[in-house]
Amino acid sequence: MTRIAIGRRIRESRMDAGVTQTDLAKAIGISPSYLNLIEHDKRLIGGALLKRIAGALDTPLAVLSGANDAPLASEVAELARSLSFRGLDEAAASRFTGQYPDWANAFVQLHRRYRDATETALALSDRLSQDPALMELSHAVLTQISAIRSFAEIMEQYPDLEPAERERFCGIIADQSDRLGSSAREMIALLDGARNAPTPTSPQSEVDDFIHHCDNHLPRLEEAADALRARLETSIEMLPAAIENRLVRTHGLTIRRGRANIDRRDVRRHDLVLLDEEALDATHRFQLARTLADLELGDVTEELVADDRLTSDESRDIARRAMANYAAGALLFPYDAFHDEAEATRYDIDRLAQRFGGSFEQIAHRLVTLRRPDAQGVPFAFLRADPAGNISKPFSIAGLRMPRLGGACPLWAVYAAQATPDRTVSQLAEMPSGEQFLFIARSQSKRAPVYGRAQARFSVMLGCDVVYGERVVYFDSYASGRASLATPVGFNCRSCPRSACAQRAQAAIISAPTPPGGAPPAAPRMDEAEAGGPESREQSRKQGLASTART
Amino acid sequence: MGASILIAEDEPFIVESLNFLLTRAGHRVDAVDTGSRALQAMRGHRPDLLLLDIMLPETNGFDVLRRLRGEPELADMPVMILTAKGQEADRNRMIELGADDFVTKPFSNKDLLSRVEMLLEGGRAARGSTPSR
Repeated sequence: MTRIAIGRRIRESRMDAGVTQTDLAKAIGISPSYLNLIEHDKRLIGGALLKRIAGALDTPLAVLSGANDAPLASEVAELARSLSFRGLDEAAASRFTGQYPDWANAFVQLHRRYRDATETALALSDRLSQDPALMELSHAVLTQISAIRSFAEIMEQYPDLEPAERERFCGIIADQSDRLGSSAREMIALLDGARNAPTPTSPQSEVDDFIHHCDNHLPRLEEAADALRARLETSIEMLPAAIENRLVRTHGLTIRRGRANIDRRDVRRHDLVLLDEEALDATHRFQLARTLADLELGDVTEELVADDRLTSDESRDIARRAMANYAAGALLFPYDAFHDEAEATRYDIDRLAQRFGGSFEQIAHRLVTLRRPDAQGVPFAFLRADPAGNISKPFSIAGLRMPRLGGACPLWAVYAAQATPDRTVSQLAEMPSGEQFLFIARSQSKRAPVYGRAQARFSVMLGCDVVYGERVVYFDSYASGRASLATPVGFNCRSCPRSACAQRAQAAIISAPTPPGGAPPAAPRMDEAEAGGPESREQSRKQGLASTART
Repeated sequence: MGASILIAEDEPFIVESLNFLLTRAGHRVDAVDTGSRALQAMRGHRPDLLLLDIMLPETNGFDVLRRLRGEPELADMPVMILTAKGQEADRNRMIELGADDFVTKPFSNKDLLSRVEMLLEGGRAARGSTPSR
């Protein structure tokens, strides 16, 4: 994670408190000159010393450490890279964010608006060439203009027209002009409506921010889900049946299996819950749990979405859906039981899915939420990608930043998993910095295959720091620690210095990192001279390594 | 000498103005409003010229063009395309399929008529010298 330059914060807090450098230095037991270096970011500090400063200034540690700003700094860095602003590296981004958090925030917001505008423009231009309604209208307009022009010319060019002909042609011109007017108005209305048509992405980003801020753990919803489950008075095995029962008995709903509308959000109407007969059982259970959560935990959800970070109705709507999914997960996979079972099975997702009757994605999602301070699970990052690489639900952890813009590194298991549908794939991913992460991914459809229908597929990936490897069963195949087991990857092409990568999609805007100690970067790719040597070796290693684990 | 011209166009007012213009120029005009009817009509009686709208219902103008160029009887018949699409790519495609000329909507009557005469002239010359292409 990006380090925040915190000197200015310390300096400002000290001045706000009306304390001199000398006095503060004395209070925390360092020399004034050393404090001066700290305040000018010439010395990076953390831990005990920062705690002492916070104590002496009576300021919350998080304010000084800028812990809350780390995601912001990451996003600024990611933006700078994605926009190819040379010279704006990670360190520059963190200095900028540390010194001017408000400006950094404004920069991020501006970029979101820019991205929205770009997407809207693209959607509109697509619309002009592909929207059947618009095409029909423009065809009508051209036809009307053609008729008007042709008959007007006839009236001018043929002075010998019969009075009846003249009258008829005049009538046609009047009629077509009239229609032309309404076609034009319809077209304007259509284009006007188009302004609201494309869904901007920034509400989603806002919700992603919000979820990060909560560390993807919502104690209020957990408690409410626990209380609801207690009201159901049932065991985990019988939970889905109890939920179904309560929906029918207490809420008077009818549950039916059938061909659901493609738009799942419309499925629940009035007193009918329509379960898509082509969807998997796990999806049905989840849908019913979400319906019950909507009905009984709606108040809690409303309180949560009333957060200041959610600034529009749209983002509150997205957040509401996210909360409903969270609540359904919390209801079906009770925190304590799920956490214990996860630890006991060493995060074996397939066994957890078996035990709790969830899909890979549901289980993976629930694992990410195990952040309760007294019973924390392994911290996992989360990412979902469709076959075209479009990314959703990114959740980052320290050191492992999930992309929001564009795609991730094409060598990540989340993409490799698409080659082996319905099999869990693991990968020991080594970042250019040398940090290693364990990736676990699986590509799955939420629906049973139906002849002639495209099956919506998503690849879901969890990632955790290898320091937690011992607690995770998927790490076992890499436990020998041999260097050959790791796949050299990056975060995305832009930020990746691996110049010889065969999968490179975009030029990097950074060069190979300078090793600590200030030595110059290694000579550029000597091994490139060995034709077909290391590159192809590296490649086969990568391919071999997105190995399939137990399914 | 009047020629026989088939108009394949589904907009009645466009048909009416073309009909007026071509009849006044001394030609015999028939009109159909779908692509399949155009093919049917030409197989029964080969006209001297086809005025073909691209956006026809059922079988569109491109398909009509492709099919009639595949029939020995109709392969060398002059075809003028009526199009709303002025783009280069569409023109190239139409030439590729064997269109002889284009008129882009909204057209000028004079331009349309002079192009029609040129095509009819060319068609007569071609038939006179080489009976089949």
